[in-house]
Amino acid sequence: MEQKVSENIIIELKGLTKKYGYGDTESFALKDFDLTIKRGEFIMIMGPSGCGKTTLLNIIGLLDRATYGDYNLNGENVAGISASRQAKLRAKKIGFIFQNFNLIEDLSILENVALPLVYTGRSKTSRLKSASTALKRFHLQEKEYYLPYQLSGGQQQRVAIARAIVSNPEIILADEPTGNLDSRASKAVMEELSAIHKEGNTIIMVTHNPALTVYATRVINMLDGAIDTDIKTVSDANLPQPVSVKIVKKLPEPKEPKKRKKRKNSRRKK
Amino acid sequence: MASLIKTHYKLAKTAIKENRTRSFLTCLGIAIGVASIILILSLMGSVSNLIKKEISAIGSDLIVVRPSTTKDTVTSIVEELTASSSFQKSNLALSDTATISEIEGVSAVAPIALSTNTISSDKNTLPAVTVMGTTLDYSKIEPLAMKHGAFLTEANAENGVVLGHMLSLELFNTINSTVGKTVTIMGEKFMVIGVLDETDQSINFDNVDFDNAAIVNIVTLDQITDSTQIQQINVKAENTDSLARISTEIREKLIEKKHGDQNFTVAYGDAITHPAGSLFNIISGMLALVAGISLVVGGIGVMNIMLVSVAERTHEIGIRKAVGASSRNILMQFLFEALILSVLGGIFGLVLGYIFAFLISIITPFAPYISLEIIAITFLTAIVVGIIFGIYPALKAASKNPIDSLKHYR
Repeated sequence: MEQKVSENIIIELKGLTKKYGYGDTESFALKDFDLTIKRGEFIMIMGPSGCGKTTLLNIIGLLDRATYGDYNLNGENVAGISASRQAKLRAKKIGFIFQNFNLIEDLSILENVALPLVYTGRSKTSRLKSASTALKRFHLQEKEYYLPYQLSGGQQQRVAIARAIVSNPEIILADEPTGNLDSRASKAVMEELSAIHKEGNTIIMVTHNPALTVYATRVINMLDGAIDTDIKTVSDANLPQPVSVKIVKKLPEPKEPKKRKKRKNSRRKK
Repeated sequence: MASLIKTHYKLAKTAIKENRTRSFLTCLGIAIGVASIILILSLMGSVSNLIKKEISAIGSDLIVVRPSTTKDTVTSIVEELTASSSFQKSNLALSDTATISEIEGVSAVAPIALSTNTISSDKNTLPAVTVMGTTLDYSKIEPLAMKHGAFLTEANAENGVVLGHMLSLELFNTINSTVGKTVTIMGEKFMVIGVLDETDQSINFDNVDFDNAAIVNIVTLDQITDSTQIQQINVKAENTDSLARISTEIREKLIEKKHGDQNFTVAYGDAITHPAGSLFNIISGMLALVAGISLVVGGIGVMNIMLVSVAERTHEIGIRKAVGASSRNILMQFLFEALILSVLGGIFGLVLGYIFAFLISIITPFAPYISLEIIAITFLTAIVVGIIFGIYPALKAASKNPIDSLKHYR
């Protein structure tokens, strides 16, 4: 059992430091940051503005690089990889959700959701099919050919979530996903994220709203580029796991939803 | 990869459609540049077509010897442009004619010397008229159609003159009763012995506008002017099979005679079509330069609009990069857009250029000349311009930092 859990480590950060400026203007967004994230965790990162939350998220999301330190993603050291390799990993393994939705306004909802698949080299039909399936999950199928501005904020954020999960990523990163939403839309979005998490997805979310921590399995408070408090509300053994992993554990009837087929393969590799 | 290229193409199409006016104006810039290139190529093509037609009418047994002065240097071109006369200095001499006629298989040799002189009749005085000097053999090689009278003959070779159709009209205000009248060239009196029929061929391989020229004996012309320059020696062979041998022999004999001076060309067949020694090449070269400049300006337009497009879509670039687009993907996306703009401009320019060429053909003898080469050149230039002027904006787009781009909100 112990071994199973340690195998489940998806992200490992060691001595991660992000430095801005030199000499007198030198400042640290992250300082000697260590963090281990297991599959199935729903982590909420909180803390005052400027404590390095977003920098951390950008580094985990391979949009940014640490000045030094180690970053292991799925056992691969990705701290010093090329920009094009970063892009490839972003397309395959990481889903982003932003505060301001960040949908491309000239593209239809369907095309927006299919966007990450464009860069994995899949054919157009297969891309749009996957995107359509993802949208169906969020009950937005009839809006497929709408443009982003024709949707409400909550709907747009759900489109963005669909975009984040369409390529079956290893981790989903959300930077204040409810920051621009009213409480009702906010609750809807959190319910969706929670549902995705219960399917065994790993989610890292930055938020300012303490009320949302009820959805999390682990709450990290950051201060000045380091971890202040780190509280786990769910034990590692009880983290939701992807269906394929659960099967290995319990060996019940071989019931698999079609949608998560691809995840299974990547899991077995480990 | 193929699907990615298709995607880039689709993206570029949407982006261009979305900014219709802007894209159209950008295309127009390229189109004007391409159109002027097309126009020049079409004109040049139709000129050599005209000459080709003329030569095939004369017969294929023609060899032409032309002086080729050191015209490849820029200074000589400038010298020529600034010189008072439009005729170049020649290293061919009258005695060369005799040398050539000695060669076996040559049936006729006619030199063409040109000078510009004032001609006066009892009614009018015309300055700067082209006076062509040649020998009696000329009519054997290239019989000119006569309206009245006859071409130079043994009897009147010394002081006879044949007038062009327009020249006759300008000198005597008539073309009908001019034969037998006298004109004065450089103080020397000449009798009009013939008037040429209207040729309406200002472009020909002799580089003489026969409608506006006076033709005299070359010996006489040499005596009255001391600046006669032989522009060309026309040689007629007895049969077409020996053209190659004769032209080599002419070349060898002339080099020997001129002590190694090789500044002349011997041409037969299609090679004759290039009207060497005329202003034509220089002028078309200049026009091509101007067209090239307008193409560059068009290209700058493409670059400008692409830079605007990149700046406008910074946020989009950020999103694309965040979801997994590599710098290369972004580069290709914007390069494709620039390429499509310039190729569209190229197509537009092709049509525009031929419309102009057609309009010009209405008032001039230059029929529009369409060839696969011209179309290929058009597309090639358009693609090259698109890449040259699209690469910088595309690189700029590709090098954008995704984090900063995402913050860039419109």
